[in-house]
Amino acid sequence: MSVITWKIGGPAGFGIMSAGPMFAMALKRSGYSVHGYPEYPSIIRGGYNNYHVTFSDKPVFSVYNRCDILVALDKVVFDSETITKNMIVIADFDNIKGTEDLECKKVNIPFKKILKDNELPDIVKNSIALGVSAKILGIDEEILFKLFEENYPAKVLDMNISAAKIGMEFCLDEMKFKAPKGNSNFKDNLLMTGNEAIALGAVKAGLGFYSTYPMTPASSILHYLAKLEEKYGIIVKHTEDEISGIIMAIGASYAGVRAMTGTSGGGLSLMTEGVGLAAITETPLVIALSQRPGPATGMPTWTEQADLKFVLNISQDEFVKIVLTPGDLNELFYMTFEAFNLADRYQVPVFVLTDKFLSESHFCEAIFNDNGLKIDRGFIFEGNSEAPMEFFPRYKEVENGIPMKSNPGTPGGLYKAPGNEHDDFGFVATDSKTRIKNQERRFKKEEFIKKELPLPKLYGPKDAEITFVCWGSTKQPLMEALKHNDKFNFLHFSAINPIDWKQVKNMFKDKNLVAIETNFTGQLASVIAEKTGIVIKDKYLKYDGRPFFVEEIIEYVKRGN
Amino acid sequence: MKAMEFNSGKIPVWCPGCGNFAIWNAIKGALADLEISGKDVVNISGIGCSGKMLNHLRTYGFHTLHGRTLPVATGVKLSNHKLTVVVNGGDGDGYGMGVGHFIHAIRRNLDVTYLVHDNHIYGLTTGQASPTTDKGLKSKSTPHGVIDEPLNPLAVALNAGATFVARGYSGEVEHLKELIKAGINYKGFAYIDILQPCVTFGKTYSYEYYDERIYKLDESYDFTNFDNAMKKIWEKEKIALGIIYKKERDEYASLHPQLKDDILLNSTGKLRDISDELARFK
Ligand SMILES: Cc1ncc(C[n+]2csc(CCOP(=O)(O)OP(=O)(O)O)c2C)c(N)n1
Ligand code: SF4
Repeated sequence: MSVITWKIGGPAGFGIMSAGPMFAMALKRSGYSVHGYPEYPSIIRGGYNNYHVTFSDKPVFSVYNRCDILVALDKVVFDSETITKNMIVIADFDNIKGTEDLECKKVNIPFKKILKDNELPDIVKNSIALGVSAKILGIDEEILFKLFEENYPAKVLDMNISAAKIGMEFCLDEMKFKAPKGNSNFKDNLLMTGNEAIALGAVKAGLGFYSTYPMTPASSILHYLAKLEEKYGIIVKHTEDEISGIIMAIGASYAGVRAMTGTSGGGLSLMTEGVGLAAITETPLVIALSQRPGPATGMPTWTEQADLKFVLNISQDEFVKIVLTPGDLNELFYMTFEAFNLADRYQVPVFVLTDKFLSESHFCEAIFNDNGLKIDRGFIFEGNSEAPMEFFPRYKEVENGIPMKSNPGTPGGLYKAPGNEHDDFGFVATDSKTRIKNQERRFKKEEFIKKELPLPKLYGPKDAEITFVCWGSTKQPLMEALKHNDKFNFLHFSAINPIDWKQVKNMFKDKNLVAIETNFTGQLASVIAEKTGIVIKDKYLKYDGRPFFVEEIIEYVKRGN
Repeated sequence: MKAMEFNSGKIPVWCPGCGNFAIWNAIKGALADLEISGKDVVNISGIGCSGKMLNHLRTYGFHTLHGRTLPVATGVKLSNHKLTVVVNGGDGDGYGMGVGHFIHAIRRNLDVTYLVHDNHIYGLTTGQASPTTDKGLKSKSTPHGVIDEPLNPLAVALNAGATFVARGYSGEVEHLKELIKAGINYKGFAYIDILQPCVTFGKTYSYEYYDERIYKLDESYDFTNFDNAMKKIWEKEKIALGIIYKKERDEYASLHPQLKDDILLNSTGKLRDISDELARFK
């Protein structure tokens, strides 16, 4: 099985983040399965940007450390990348000092001279590079130019096409790379980022209102939904801060509209009081959380899975919340869709956790279809026109601890939704009986939610020397590593709360467990210990802001833990 | 509905003589005069004695967190712009905690009526200084006297671009009722700062204090003149009551093409066809 990796790097502002995904799409349309992984600093000009594409004629899931073909648009790439013997490196070697002794296969493209001779601006350097890359990998130029058409405004289109053509001409036959032939297996697959899958899951579910404040790596949910708002009749708001973001969504949901907010850890800190408000008023709410490293501002454009315990314990006091931890595009899409049903049915906050790696990388295993998708808006009071001004027992249990919602404007549905503890009609109440009744009723929902949430799933051979235990995006590198090694399998949690821990405990039996997480303490492992009493001693943890690279996992398994 | 029918049946727990009673009566009277049904009204309240208004009106209601009235109001109003939204909060609630939201609600010109029960003190937490407390005043949290300059909330509103700025007073219920009616009828953000004596903790700002200083703006006053309004707002010895500034401006919901034909509520929660969107990812 051959997996090929191609990487383009250069300073921020060189168009890496448009060229990279475009090339990933060109490969997909040429019949490959593709994964694209971006790395970039939190600055607009300067600093090192790169986009790493992994592709194969078999499904690919994740990023390797290794790079087969490197396109270096500037000297900075050589400062940041390890250049090895087998690599093909495409660069303007005439103009980059210190590269003379490199042992890689050099493809010298005189970018500077080409631009000058053809009176082209610097910004088309990336298109020259794409031309070269297409030629080396045998990609049909029509596929590339069609992508240019889809992505570039008309006035710069011709310029980019001619730049790419010049690049192609520089490419001699001996420079070609032997890649497996693309096939048609991936024709219908979608190549998209995790955040796009979340946004589309929400749109599919009839999202009405999305409000938040931009914070990487959640911002692209906001951007994408904002683009779609008029087309689908959604209201999307960039609010004054995250506090307003979540509270506005709660207001919309109180009024009966399907509402969502999304943020990263720092924003969720501000939203915390709102989560509690949604909980006690039993206002349905979906919260997409894309994690990144660090308390405070941390490392904005890098990845980590360290907010699990924050989310599980969010806000003062105790209340039921649903925590979903999807691991791929399909899970992101369908679980976000289902998150709205769960929020409406149980009237609790529902978290969809992702991280920078899953949110911003491109994956291509999904198709998404309508089969079996159903909307469930839960118990909603139809109204009583005989007694339009009567107060309605909004917080009285109807079934399974769940009360009935009444949208403002409904005759006979009058009620108060208070952040205070309250009676059935929503009037503030502090007597012990009411408090006990409410806490017990609200927590009753947990038993029923448990039955609906997926249990962890085992991937890989049934019996193996090592069973990794993971959640969220770590599924991806493990799936990729499975292709190279059959000495391990893994249990992936796509939901963590509330689930049936008794059954989970059974799944752990007779297994050599290793917790694998991108955080410092092994947060899932500690949740498992709390819920099951099982202490997973072996932990493989990474907390440098990068996802697990496939080689690292294979190495770990080989070493034996 | 008659004013009385807007009583929820819950007896208010405000201190006897509290200015909040008058505001309550004015709201009920305004809704009755305008013949709005309580089922089409959402009262959004903040936290504080002011926020307790929620319990006493026969309308829908949302009692949000401290300072967070206006974001809730925005979500509600955009979701169902046919509803009448009345927001009640205090000076601590709205000018302390919520001052950011206040300015942004003004920028949006959301069609709600925002009533600030301005008693120059924190009532519910038993008498700390508020953003509108005068310099030098001693309070529980400022036993040596306030050293911060007080906020002039009407000036903040005017400078932020508010187009309906008014001042009412608990000692003038009829006048206040008319202001609230004008606010509800105004298509946009109607902001009314209400002088509300707190008889328990805000003794400086008593009914006597206000009765000596207030006067009502009459027909000769031109509320469309911004400079006039600024002058009124900075008057030192006298306190003007009435609509201080008013101007027409596009109301927020009307600027959303998504809301042109129907309320948002009617299109949400239905399975959507996203196939042409998916096609772009192939
Ligand atoms: C986040 C938060 N901080 C503090 C409080 C405590 N608190 C309740 S009411 C209040 C002040 C209310 O003052 P004001 O808004 O002026 O209303 P009043 O009681 O005077 O009507 C405070 C600080 C709270 N409820 N929530
Ligand atoms: S403390 Fe002041 S504001 Fe609160 S109810 Fe009593 S008088 Fe009214």
